[in-house]
Amino acid sequence: MLWYKCWLETRWRFLIGLAVLACSAAGVVLFWPKLMELLPLASSIDVGGEIGRRIKESVEVSREYRGYIWSQWFGEKATELGTLAAVVLGVGGLLSRPSALFTLSLPISRNRLFATRAAAGIAELLVLSLVPSLFIPLLSPAVGKSYGIGDAMVHSVCLFIGAGVFFSLALLLSTVFTDLWRPLLIALLAAVALGLSEQLVRDLHGYGLFRVMRAEAYFRKGELPWQGLLACAAASAAMLYGAAINLARRDF
Amino acid sequence: MPESLVIETADLRKHFGQVEGLRGLDLQVPAGSIHGFLGRNGAGKTTTLKILLGMMRPTGGSAQVFGMAADRPDSSVEIRRRTGFVSEDKDLYEYMTVEQMIRFTAAFYPRWRSDLEQRYRRSFDLPPDREVKALSRGMRTKLALLLALCRGAELLILDEPTSGLDPAATEEVLQALVAHVASEEMTVFFSSHQIAEVEQIADRVTIIDHGQAVITGALEDLRQKYRRVQLVFDGDAPQIVFHAAGIVRVERNGRTLTVVSSAGSEGIIEETGAFNPVSVDVLPVTLKEIFLETVLEEN
Repeated sequence: MLWYKCWLETRWRFLIGLAVLACSAAGVVLFWPKLMELLPLASSIDVGGEIGRRIKESVEVSREYRGYIWSQWFGEKATELGTLAAVVLGVGGLLSRPSALFTLSLPISRNRLFATRAAAGIAELLVLSLVPSLFIPLLSPAVGKSYGIGDAMVHSVCLFIGAGVFFSLALLLSTVFTDLWRPLLIALLAAVALGLSEQLVRDLHGYGLFRVMRAEAYFRKGELPWQGLLACAAASAAMLYGAAINLARRDF
Repeated sequence: MPESLVIETADLRKHFGQVEGLRGLDLQVPAGSIHGFLGRNGAGKTTTLKILLGMMRPTGGSAQVFGMAADRPDSSVEIRRRTGFVSEDKDLYEYMTVEQMIRFTAAFYPRWRSDLEQRYRRSFDLPPDREVKALSRGMRTKLALLLALCRGAELLILDEPTSGLDPAATEEVLQALVAHVASEEMTVFFSSHQIAEVEQIADRVTIIDHGQAVITGALEDLRQKYRRVQLVFDGDAPQIVFHAAGIVRVERNGRTLTVVSSAGSEGIIEETGAFNPVSVDVLPVTLKEIFLETVLEEN
């Protein structure tokens, strides 16, 4: 029944997240024919500096369907929306009044309570990472293209493991603060700060969390970012452990 | 701990930073009793209940329920398996319906009493499809009480069970509680600052003030032991230094001397005999007066 409680508490966030991600994935696929029409115009864009370099790089990558899907979906929208969804799924449900005392009066340990909450959130995050991305291979024939299910799965797993860090951070913060807003804002600010630092510091760019989520190494060289994935999993595990300890020690 | 005690705390302490919530609380709740836990706001009632249920960890001392340490996570789960609890705010899941709330709670209790559930559903007239957030304060209290009573619990812990209710709803809830306890073998430990409701249903009482138990015992014993002795003299009442045990308060007002004692009136009458009072009246003391006398004395 704890699963049921977690589901009732998070269902709208999950379903809205699923709808937004699925629509976004479908939109990316269905925009491909329009992009093909617009792409010749892109060569006339003359912008210098770093921004110009990135636009040119994006245009070059997007000339091919696989590159377009990576640059528009896995490399951008899925990463951004996945981060937002992970944070939103991670906040609340542990200390928030008015129901915390009722939950704690039940004959269940705090560890079990936390494990169920964390597992339910991780399961929902997995669905949010996998299902919208599977729309890509399913919808691609509609625009006369194909996209490998294997590629979509690999990118989804990288997205899931990377977004898991933000989910774990939000859950950890939810064991520190009793309201919803502070964990939400702090986790989102952390994501924005991390994203900006990866953009600004080029040395960091190679090892960044968002780079792992985008799985750029897999797209370009067919290599999985093992080190990054392991680091993300370890960071998530450490934060979940910290959250469990925090919850166990806390007075209500 | 003797077999007959369901709750026992010894020198129980809880600090909130520099503030002492509990300052060495000694508490004993015998099995089968309806034990009122009286105190002013902030006296330490809710803190005590939360420690007993494992929601809060004590800073010092010990708290045992059913002979198990309340601050150990494993025994705390077992304590909660055998205990029904209603919090002051009647914390329930706002997003669930009454039916969902009942089914959810029942799933955690193998000894869930479906017969009682049906009975209280009828008598409390709870709408099964209504969400908790749409329930009135009275309805919410009744639902919280149903969820606590049907657990098949041996101990019921209630934190201000009638707070925020109108007199009619308060009476309904108290009647349901008394009827339930009369038909089931259980212990009730409930906190309140409503003295009338403690007098109405409790057979034992503990008065807590500033984190310490200042009075504890059977309500009937307290009523028997506490006496107000009113002495009237010919002239101004004499200043007497009493040596009798249990003197709570002495008040001189013109020709009248009023003495409140927690150990009967005999010693007082004996000591004042030499001053030849014109009249001596021995009056019973209500629980409200005992409470006020004790709390005022503590301050």
